[in-house]
Amino acid sequence: MTLKVLDPRLDAEGEAMTLAMPLPSLEGATVGLLDNAKIGTAVLFDHVQQILASRFGVREFIRRRKPDSSRPAPPEMLGELSAVDAVISAIGD
Amino acid sequence: MFQRNGWTDGLPIVPPTEDLVRRFVDAGGLGPADVVGVEPVRRRRITAEKVAIAAVMAGCLPGYVPVVMALVRAVCEPAYGLHGCTASTGGSAPFVVVNGPIRRALDMNATHNALANGSRANATIGRALRLLIINVLGGIPGRLDRSTLGHPGKFTFCVAEDEEDSPWPSLAAERGVPAGASAVTVLAAESPHQIMNEWTADPREILDTYAAAIRANMLTYSIWAGHYALVIAKQQRDIIVAAGWSKADIRGYVFETARVRRGDWRTVGKSAVAGRKDEGRVYTALRSPDDLLVVAAGGPAGGFGVVVPPWYGAKSLAVTTII
Repeated sequence: MTLKVLDPRLDAEGEAMTLAMPLPSLEGATVGLLDNAKIGTAVLFDHVQQILASRFGVREFIRRRKPDSSRPAPPEMLGELSAVDAVISAIGD
Repeated sequence: MFQRNGWTDGLPIVPPTEDLVRRFVDAGGLGPADVVGVEPVRRRRITAEKVAIAAVMAGCLPGYVPVVMALVRAVCEPAYGLHGCTASTGGSAPFVVVNGPIRRALDMNATHNALANGSRANATIGRALRLLIINVLGGIPGRLDRSTLGHPGKFTFCVAEDEEDSPWPSLAAERGVPAGASAVTVLAAESPHQIMNEWTADPREILDTYAAAIRANMLTYSIWAGHYALVIAKQQRDIIVAAGWSKADIRGYVFETARVRRGDWRTVGKSAVAGRKDEGRVYTALRSPDDLLVVAAGGPAGGFGVVVPPWYGAKSLAVTTII
């Protein structure tokens, strides 16, 4: 006997999200740093920024801090970050 | 197949066959494609059919479906912040309180072993929400669910209030639900902490014990103010009621007593963060007395009660929906 069961899962609405293609080089790039507002993220990003600038030639950084660590970044903040070449989002617990 | 695919909480499930799911959707009074709630971060429009599937899998009976539907509506309210409390390393679980006539109709347990095994409805209503979080939200441990530890309430954490044996207004009534209606209240909560004090006839002393447990939670877990719940069992309730205290009196007393100084962090190994701001600053557990949810439940004997702490201050708020 065959037992037909229904799928308990649910797909996301809208377009599937995928990671952007990696940049061929970071030389001269502008990089966004999205801070999730946890206690250690600023220190982590200071360190990451220093490495990216000194070793990889990143030219400019746009740093933003989410207003709430447990909720998504507001659309206007994402809009500000949309102009950069790459974004790093980090949790600094 | 469901175990192999990771579509369960690890326990066996009832297969969600077409017939069963249709019966459950009907029991909710909705069409299968009707949207019960939307989770915006993961972009999930949760249909009655998906809720019914979770309820079947959890072992619910059809009569439980209206409660599960109301529960899903509640956690999809923006104030609850379903995505954040699901994904957080803090590892919370939805703490569910059911009020009103539906408790009796579903034979829910509000007395002995009120927070644990005692009735099919308590066990499976809470579990249905967990299976929905796993399958519909993708709240799979190590993926969206990043809980470091979690707690046993993540299997089910559902209590009915013992309204028949309490002179106090129910939690739902205090949160504005009309008399005669049934309702569900949900709070993103950490593991419950049981307290004991059966050596006093003074309600202040009983509540001092609860407040001490809350202060310990503020220092050892999270200092941020938000909704706490107290589940007070019969023996202590009788003492508090005999002294003429209402739930409002309890809230007022706990608001005044459940507070710590930032500098107290030094006594629990958190010196590194204590000094970052004014150590004399007083932190309250509750933003106001109304933040305390007081629930009458538990067996008749034993001077026990439970503190249910919030996941992360006021980042997730308790939500009540009418069934």
